[in-house]
Amino acid sequence: MSSPAEDGPRLDTPSPAPEPGQGGGRSWTGRLLREPLLHFVVLGVLVFGGYRLIDHQPQAPAGAQRIEITNDDLRQLAVGWLAQGRDKPTPDQLRAMVDQKAVSEMLVREAIALGLNKDDEVIKRRLAQKMDFLLADIAALAPPTDEELAAWFAAHKAEFTRPPRIRFRHLYFSFDKRGEGARAAAEASLPLVAGRSPASLGETDVADPFMFRDYYADVTPEQMAKEFGGVFANALFEFKPGDWRGPIESGYGWHLVWIDSYEASRVPTLEEVRPTVAQAWQAEKYREVKQRAMDEIRSRYQVVAPSLDNLNMDDLTIAPSGPSASVAE
Amino acid sequence: MSKSLVARLYGIAPAACAAIPLLGALDAPATAQSAPERKAYFGETHVHTSWSFDAYIFGNHITGPADAYKYAKGEPIKHPLGYDVKITTPLDWMGVTDHSEYAGVVRLSNDPNSPISKLPIADKLKVRDAADIQRIYLWLGTSMIKEQPIEALVNPEISDTVWKANNSAADAANEPGKFTAFCSYEWTSNPDFRNMHRNIFFKDCAKIPSRPFSSLESQAPEDLWNWMDGQRKAGNELLAISHNANLSGGLMYPTEVDFKGRPIDQAWAESRDRNEKLTEIKQIKGASETHPLLSPNDEFANYEILNYLLGDPQGQFITLGGSYVRQALKDGVAMQQARGYNPFKTGVVGGSDSHNTAVPYRQENFFGGHARLDGAVKERMAGHNFAGLDVRFENPAGLTGLWAEENTRVSLFEAMKRKETFATSGPRITLRFFGGWDYASGATDRADWVKVAYAGGVPMGGDLQPRSGEKAPTFMVWAVKDPTSSNLDRIQIVKGWSKNGQSFEKVYDAVWAGNRKPDPITGRVPAIGSTVDITAASYTNTIGAVELKGTWTDPDFNPADDAFYYARAIAIPTPRWTTIQAKELGVPPPEVVPATVQERAWSSPIWYTPTAEQRVAAQEGTTEADLKEQGAVVLDEASLKALLVGKYTWIRNNVTGAIFKVQWGENGQMLVMNVDPRIPQPSEVGDVAGGSYLGTPSDYSIRDGRVATWFGNREYEFTVYKLAGGSKDLLTRGDTYLAARSNEFGYANYEIVPTPVFLGTDVKDPTVPQ
Repeated sequence: MSSPAEDGPRLDTPSPAPEPGQGGGRSWTGRLLREPLLHFVVLGVLVFGGYRLIDHQPQAPAGAQRIEITNDDLRQLAVGWLAQGRDKPTPDQLRAMVDQKAVSEMLVREAIALGLNKDDEVIKRRLAQKMDFLLADIAALAPPTDEELAAWFAAHKAEFTRPPRIRFRHLYFSFDKRGEGARAAAEASLPLVAGRSPASLGETDVADPFMFRDYYADVTPEQMAKEFGGVFANALFEFKPGDWRGPIESGYGWHLVWIDSYEASRVPTLEEVRPTVAQAWQAEKYREVKQRAMDEIRSRYQVVAPSLDNLNMDDLTIAPSGPSASVAE
Repeated sequence: MSKSLVARLYGIAPAACAAIPLLGALDAPATAQSAPERKAYFGETHVHTSWSFDAYIFGNHITGPADAYKYAKGEPIKHPLGYDVKITTPLDWMGVTDHSEYAGVVRLSNDPNSPISKLPIADKLKVRDAADIQRIYLWLGTSMIKEQPIEALVNPEISDTVWKANNSAADAANEPGKFTAFCSYEWTSNPDFRNMHRNIFFKDCAKIPSRPFSSLESQAPEDLWNWMDGQRKAGNELLAISHNANLSGGLMYPTEVDFKGRPIDQAWAESRDRNEKLTEIKQIKGASETHPLLSPNDEFANYEILNYLLGDPQGQFITLGGSYVRQALKDGVAMQQARGYNPFKTGVVGGSDSHNTAVPYRQENFFGGHARLDGAVKERMAGHNFAGLDVRFENPAGLTGLWAEENTRVSLFEAMKRKETFATSGPRITLRFFGGWDYASGATDRADWVKVAYAGGVPMGGDLQPRSGEKAPTFMVWAVKDPTSSNLDRIQIVKGWSKNGQSFEKVYDAVWAGNRKPDPITGRVPAIGSTVDITAASYTNTIGAVELKGTWTDPDFNPADDAFYYARAIAIPTPRWTTIQAKELGVPPPEVVPATVQERAWSSPIWYTPTAEQRVAAQEGTTEADLKEQGAVVLDEASLKALLVGKYTWIRNNVTGAIFKVQWGENGQMLVMNVDPRIPQPSEVGDVAGGSYLGTPSDYSIRDGRVATWFGNREYEFTVYKLAGGSKDLLTRGDTYLAARSNEFGYANYEIVPTPVFLGTDVKDPTVPQ
């Protein structure tokens, strides 16, 4: 492919990665970036920079204007093609791919020769993102031992607490049927049903038909918040079993509630949640790895900046905003 | 207790107090009510994390797919600007759809099957404790300083691709029965600033391909579909969801040529239908249902319209034709009738397209969708000009409801595939919609109405069974409000149909809250009113209904016309996020957007297709091919000018029978007059009734033997044919003139007619006294 001096990833001498969220907000909205050609070139740099990074076949001596496609390049093109679930490429199709690759490479080289890669915020951010990815999963984490996992679980038990679960029946007093009288109707009904179990109530028309369920089994506060709203769910889990309670308000009206059974929230044993705990352990380790890596990188850099307190910004003019390169959504 | 006692106690008529049998069914709790066959599961089809290249540019650096799933399950996560955000109501399912174009470029694999463990370097990279991490990064760091890449390290086999990591995050978040996480990604084709994006959803994460098909491979949806066909053949079920048709510049739903410029044919239609089951009807960047100029008779069409093209290209702007879902559905049935295939039998979903990892679904919890570009209240309310987009036009994310047996990948995917889907504007509004031939009026009052509905008809996304005879189909609709949001105003049925290459639409009020009476002239149910206090940015649920249900029978059914029907539930007015945040800042709400909004839900359509016999029985219109056969002459430029310029013509639309006058100015301006608002208008003509009343002119141009007109940034041409004889018109000297409009699939539906004596249509047989 290209000679080392023209290689994408090594174009920038190592320098501190741009600080997240800062810098260059204007430069990548520049007029130039509207050019589809430039998008193509940038993409080419990204793609072929990436390819270059992973291409370690011995290079044929490359003249300045020489683009060599190796057998491995061809095989890689073919893999890319086959990975799309297509039949083997014909020689014509291969030729088209080679041509496309060569054209991209030419454009990339021309762009680099013109210095278009310099101070390009899109390229910089892309490289920073790649490094970010690399930091996150460069290391193949060994799975934790049983002791490690048990110790870690003991220190993080609260995160795995299982929510309370209840079974309950409710009587519904509908806003649609009763308007603002729904609450009064529910309150007035409470003495009529008090002390009478749902089974002993038999057929009654104290209340209104409910559009979902009259009886809910083994439900959690989250499920009930989805079905009735959070206010209802919070109140529901405060009730004691054994009689009609309420009324409490949902988004649909007022309800009298009979709790059949209540299972309090509890911390599970490790065996019940081992896969989840292992995942959480791994997620934390990855965060740690990434942080360590960042710390290590940071230790090799010194950030030098003028005093931030007295920056003169009075003479800055802001160019009118133009079209942007951020067309992907 | 007796019914009468209850009635006396509460002053409620016994009839209104329908009994709930509490028959001691405690030992069989699940059967307390006849369990509906399927339940609505609400979720997200479209969200980006820092793993999307553009999201990273927008400033989202800290949260990835795993965080997106956490957020969906109700845990707070960080907004890219550093503050905590929490979902109002957790979701039941989600697919993270990072862009395939950039993710994992560095790790493209020469041999996707090569296992990491076989590489000698794997041992060196094992992390057991903190010292290991230090050791590895010193090693790595030294190499970087010396600019000597560690070959084995940058070798792609040693680390998974981002694609794989993304799918692992989905696997980790997936909890069958409780929360479903899909393997999914976004194919990001954006030719010439026109949005052609699709989200791709896989049924089974165990079968996903080693690489997603990206727009680097091809920007043509046809190539994406071919790839999808190949995946399906290999046993990997998947489907595509198109989105932001509103930003597609007319490319999303073409009717004449495909992306590659080839004529659209049956094979193209079948390929699209096989792969593209769904389309996103609403998201942060606007609604794609319809546009007020495409649907001038739909008083709810003016909803979150976003007039913008991504990238803000100079000299380009939105195109109405080909950019909206309802028009595509109409074109689809017109193509079915005229050409025998329908490429646009799509269901609908709602989505976010948030680039924040987290998604705002509610007006009262709106934190933008583009990291630092719209993440702070002052910048939002100042109307930050984000690459040409005034962020005040953004709005909360849409939401998707799937009618499924259970909350698993298989069950939810099947729901998407059969289009038993609905979209909401954000709140969890539940919407059911069924169509059948023999539903009894009032059937939804039965406790087991859902069972009846499934047994006697089809749910949303289905096709009505073929049926001979004149009987009209009946539909069952049901909507329940989000318990944490606003009451409902009404449920409407949107009908689209086609005849002789023309397509039409009408919006019917089916069920509504309160005792409102339809307007005696328009037949429309009046507006519900508003409880919104703009200054306080508040509302109350003292109007509207918690639940609406009922049956509706098409009063205008013609068994010979292809048709579709979908349900739309509309909520009462509530403050838009801009009104809420204006109050927070102590500034007046902006005038560029409405102060209030009516949240809503849209069902996927149900289609009706006539049988071959019903089509034959219908009176066929005249096609251009017929005219050529009959020896008609196509008017050339000179004859067209002689016929029209500086004159007026009375024209009859032979499909609807509507007669109107067109003034053809010598200055290239035309005016359509005497348009009767009661007669439906064919597609893509704009508000001709309003324009006729106000005298709003438009442009025309006679060239290349055609009369060119424009609507919504697109040209529509009339070809005019002359047949000798057959007319009594003085202007035409007894010859017949028929014109074909370029969007009517080869039919010549417009005929020059003599000046009518009466213009009204409702009074029969009038005569003017001598």
